[in-house]
Amino acid sequence: MIPRTRWEVVVVGAGPAGLAAACAAHDAGSRVALVEREARAGGILKQCIHDGFGVVRFKEKLTGPEYAHRFLMMAEERGLAVHRETFLLSARRENGRFVLVLESAGQGVFEYETPALVLATGCRERTDRQVSIQGDRPAGIYTAGLAQHFVNVQGRLPGRRAVILGSGDIGLIMARRLTLEGVEVAGVYEVKSEPSGLTRNLRQCLEDFDIPLHLSTTVTEVHGKNRVEAVTVARVDGSMRPIDGTEQRIACDTLIVSVGLIPENETAASLGVPLDPVTKGPFVAQDMMTLVPGVFSCGNALQVNDLVDYVSETGETAGRAAAAWAKKTEKDEVGEASRDPRRLIAVRAGEGVASVVPQFLDAGGERRAPVFFRVKQTMRQGTVCLARTDGGSQVHRRRHLVLRPPEMERFELDLSRLPEGTAEVRLDLAPVEAKRAGAEGSVEEPRKAVGP
Amino acid sequence: MTRLSSLRSALDRKGYREVAVREWRSSVVLEGSLPSWNDRVAAGFVAAGFKYKGVVNDLEVPGLARDRWSEPSLRDGALEGAHFDVVIIGGGIIGASIARELTRYDLSVALLEKQSDLAMHTSGRNDGMIHDGFGARPGTLKARYNVRGNRLWTEDARELGIELKRPGSLVLYPSPAAHLLRPLLSKRARANGVDGWEFWSREKVAREEPALFPEQHGALFLPSAGVVSPYKAVVAYAESAVLNGARVSLDTLVSGFDQEQEADRTRIARVRTNRGTCFARAVVNAAGNWADVVAGLADDRFFSLHPRRGTDAILDLSTGAFLKHIVSMPSFLQSRSRTKGGGLVKTVEGNVLVGPTARELPGREDYATTRGELEELNRHLRLNTRLSPSQIITYFAGVRPCTWEEDFIVERSQQVANLVHAAGIQSPGLASAPAIARDVAALCVDLLSESRQVRPNPRFEPRRQAPTSLGQLSLEERSALIAAHPAYGRVVCRCEQVSEGELVDALHSPIPVSSLDSMKRRTRTGMGRCHGGFCTPRVMEIIARERGIPLEEVTKKGEGSRLLEGPEEPADPPATAPQGEEVSS
Repeated sequence: MIPRTRWEVVVVGAGPAGLAAACAAHDAGSRVALVEREARAGGILKQCIHDGFGVVRFKEKLTGPEYAHRFLMMAEERGLAVHRETFLLSARRENGRFVLVLESAGQGVFEYETPALVLATGCRERTDRQVSIQGDRPAGIYTAGLAQHFVNVQGRLPGRRAVILGSGDIGLIMARRLTLEGVEVAGVYEVKSEPSGLTRNLRQCLEDFDIPLHLSTTVTEVHGKNRVEAVTVARVDGSMRPIDGTEQRIACDTLIVSVGLIPENETAASLGVPLDPVTKGPFVAQDMMTLVPGVFSCGNALQVNDLVDYVSETGETAGRAAAAWAKKTEKDEVGEASRDPRRLIAVRAGEGVASVVPQFLDAGGERRAPVFFRVKQTMRQGTVCLARTDGGSQVHRRRHLVLRPPEMERFELDLSRLPEGTAEVRLDLAPVEAKRAGAEGSVEEPRKAVGP
Repeated sequence: MTRLSSLRSALDRKGYREVAVREWRSSVVLEGSLPSWNDRVAAGFVAAGFKYKGVVNDLEVPGLARDRWSEPSLRDGALEGAHFDVVIIGGGIIGASIARELTRYDLSVALLEKQSDLAMHTSGRNDGMIHDGFGARPGTLKARYNVRGNRLWTEDARELGIELKRPGSLVLYPSPAAHLLRPLLSKRARANGVDGWEFWSREKVAREEPALFPEQHGALFLPSAGVVSPYKAVVAYAESAVLNGARVSLDTLVSGFDQEQEADRTRIARVRTNRGTCFARAVVNAAGNWADVVAGLADDRFFSLHPRRGTDAILDLSTGAFLKHIVSMPSFLQSRSRTKGGGLVKTVEGNVLVGPTARELPGREDYATTRGELEELNRHLRLNTRLSPSQIITYFAGVRPCTWEEDFIVERSQQVANLVHAAGIQSPGLASAPAIARDVAALCVDLLSESRQVRPNPRFEPRRQAPTSLGQLSLEERSALIAAHPAYGRVVCRCEQVSEGELVDALHSPIPVSSLDSMKRRTRTGMGRCHGGFCTPRVMEIIARERGIPLEEVTKKGEGSRLLEGPEEPADPPATAPQGEEVSS
C-alpha cells in the first residue's frame, strides 16, 4: 500500500517560481507541499552567481543565490518546508483531484493528493544535437548551463579554449565567466542575424572583454575523436543553412552551446494540459490556471523569461489562485469542479507578435492582468495595441522606442475596459507612421535601465 | 579462359586497367591504385563476382591517409605469461557471446578488447534489431545464421535477463503493383525458413499501425522481428561469461602472434598484447572492423573488409506512442541492394529510432555524422504521419564490417591450426550472434579436442541476475528496495529516471568500467531528452567517489576524453605500433 497524504496545494519545483507560489498559497491560507528533486532549493539560480537579479522586485542588483535566498527566507518565516530530493515519478487525475506519485530516499514511494497543482518545473537547455551539429562526438561539448555548473558550483574548468555557439543570455554570461576564470574564448557565434541576448549583456559580457561576436554564422561540425580539437564554423543564408565555401576551422578544446531553453512540461502533458506550440508552455488565463482546471503553471515552465522578477510574479499569481481553487473545490469529491467554470476570452498574437501570455482571459477573474509578449523582429518606433479581433475598441495601446525579440515586454491590462461579450482580443504591433516619428526626431536605441 | 583472366577483362571493361590482380592461395589480391574510394569499392565488388574464397583489396587511393585503429596507451604485464585455452579477440556482440558459450565447457577463456569498454564500435552503434531473416539472400551464411539466431534470442535473453521485444516487422509495398511480387516473396521467406510470415492488406496495415502514411499498399508482416538494447546485450553476455569463469581484459590490443610451424600449417602459441604476452591453445578472431588485419597478424588474410557507415537518429520518448511495429519500405523488394535500406524501429526502451543509412566511406572508426546522411533519414520519417525531424534528440553513426562477398565468415582457418574466424559479421550480425556463438564454440571445442578431452563446465550457470532497474519494479517493490537501500531513492537522471543506486551497481558490476558513456550504456543515464545537461555533474561525482579518483580524471569514453580541465594526462603511447598489416587506404 502506497501511503497517501492530502494537501490543499502541491507545488512542484522549488526554484524562484515554485518558492513564490508556495509562499503565496500559504499566505492565502492553504496547506502547501513544496517538492524539489534536488538536494537544495533555488533552482538554476544556485549557479547564477552573476548579479542583476531582482531589480524590478527588490530595486537592487542581487546575485542568483542571493535572490533565491530571499525567497527561501520567506518560506522559512512561514514555516514552509521544502521536501527536498523528492522526485515526481508520475501524476494522474482521480475524482477531479490530482494524485502525484513521489519518491525520496527517506520515504520510498508515496503519494500526495491535491485539488490544486502548481507546476513550477522550469526549463531545460536545447542541446547541440537539436541544432544539428555534425561531426565527431568527443568530450568537451557542453550546454552553457552545464558549463556554468562545472565552473560555479563544482569549481572546475571545462577546458582551456572555448567556442560559444549562441548569443542568448546564458551564452554571453558564460563567455564572460570563462574569460574571468582564464579560459580563452575564441568567439561567440550566432546563427541569427541579430544577437539573442539582452543589450546589457552584449555590452557587459562581450564588448567589455573584447570577445568577438559573429552573426549569421554557426558551428556546423565538431572535430576530435576523444576530446574536442576544433570546430568548423560557416556563414548561413537567409534560411539559416550553411553556405558552402564559407567554412572556417577554429581550434578549441571546448564547445559551449547556448541555443535556447525548452520549458519542461512532461508532467503537464501527461495530465492532458494543452501546450502553446510557440511558448512550449501551457495555455493559461491571467490566474495562471491551465486549460485543465486545478493545474497551474508559472515561471520558466510557462514560458522562457529573461527576468527572474517575472518568474516570481507568475509564481505568486499561480500560488494565490491555486489556494483559491482549493477552497472553492473543498467539498467537491466527485470532480464537479473539474468542468471548467470559466468564461474564457482568447488572446491572439497578431501582426509582428511572436507570443502572448496569458493566452486566455477569464472574464470573471481578476480585473488586473499582467500581459507578457515578445515581438517577432526588432522594431524601432512601434505601437503595440490590444483590441477586439472583430474590430472593436482598443483596450491597451502603447508606443515603444524599440522592441527586440530577446526582450520580453510586460503591460498591465484592466479587464474592466473589455466590453461585455468579448470573445477574442488580439495583440498587434505596427510601426509608428514615418511622418510622426520623423517629427519627433531621430530616436536612439535606449539602454535598458533594468534587467540582467 | 581462366578465372583470373576473366576477372582481368571484367576490370578492364570497368576501366580499371591500372589494377593489378594476382591469385594468392585460394583468394585474389587487387593491388595498385585507383583515383577514388568509390572506384576502389567498385573494383572490390567486381572481384567478388568470381567465386574466389576471398577478395583481398589492397588498392590504394592517392591522398587518402592510412586507416589506423585507435590503440590504448596502457602498458602493463597483466596478461604476461598467462595460459588460456581460448583467447577471443574483440569485445563486441560476437566475441562476448562466444565467450559465454565457451564457459559452458571446462575451459579457461579470455576476451580481449582494445577499448576501455565493450560494445564501443559496431555492436554499440546500431538499431538493436533482431532481424527476421527475410532480408538475407537464400543459401548464404547470413540467411542460415539469422533465422537460427533469431529463435535462439528468446532463450538467451531470458537467461541473461535482458529485455527482448518482438513487435514484428512490416515491409511495406512501395506500389500497388508490388502485390505481383508475392510469389517471389513467399519463395524467399520459405527458402530462408522465416517464422510466421504473412501478407497484410492495406486495410489491415492501416488498422494495426494507424499513424502510418495513407499511401501504403499493404505489407509483408514478419512477426519474429524483434529488438534488444545492443550494448546491454553485449555487456550481459560478457558478464555471464565472467560469472562463469572467463576473464575480460579491456584496453588490450593484440599486436601480433608467436607462431610455430606444424606440418603444412602453423599454430599460434602466444598472443602479444600491450598488457603482456599470453599463451593460447585456440584463438578466435572476432575483431569486427579489424578482423582482416588480425587475420593478417597470423598470415591468414584471405579476405578483406571495407567499412560501410550507417547513421541512425533517435526520437523523443513520446514518439513511441505512434509506432507499434518495425516499419520499412524498401525501394525495390527483390533486392540486389546490399543493405535492407533502413526504416523505423521502436527501440526496446520505447523511443522511435530511424535509420540506418548506408555509405561506403573510408575510416573504420570514423563515426563523424554529416548533415546529408541525417537528412536522408527524413524519407523514413515520412512513413509515419506523427513523426518529424524536430523530434530527433540525438543521432550517431556506426560502421559495418563488410566482406566483398557480403557474407559472414565463420570457420576454422585453413592456414592456422588453432585459429577460428568470425569475421565480416555485419547486419544481421546482432540477430545471428547466438547461433554464430554456438557454432564457433563448437569449432573451438573440436580443435581443442584434438589434443585433450574437453568436458562440460559443471558449475556453468546460464542465468545472470539482471541489474536492478527501478523502472521494472512495482511501486511497492520500489519502495521496499529504497527502504533497504536509500540510494535507489535518489534519482540522478531525471529524463530516464535512473537512481544513484543503479549507477553504483553499474560501477561495481562484474566488468568494472567508469566512463560517462559506459554508465550511459549500462543505465541509460544521460540518454533522455536533456541529454545529460542536468545529470552529468552528479554522475561524474558518483564515478569519482566510487572509484576514488579526482573529479577531473573522469572521462567521457576512456583515455584522452577527460571532461574537465586538470593536471596533464600521461603523454601519448610510445611508438610501438602493431606489427600487423593494416589496410592502406
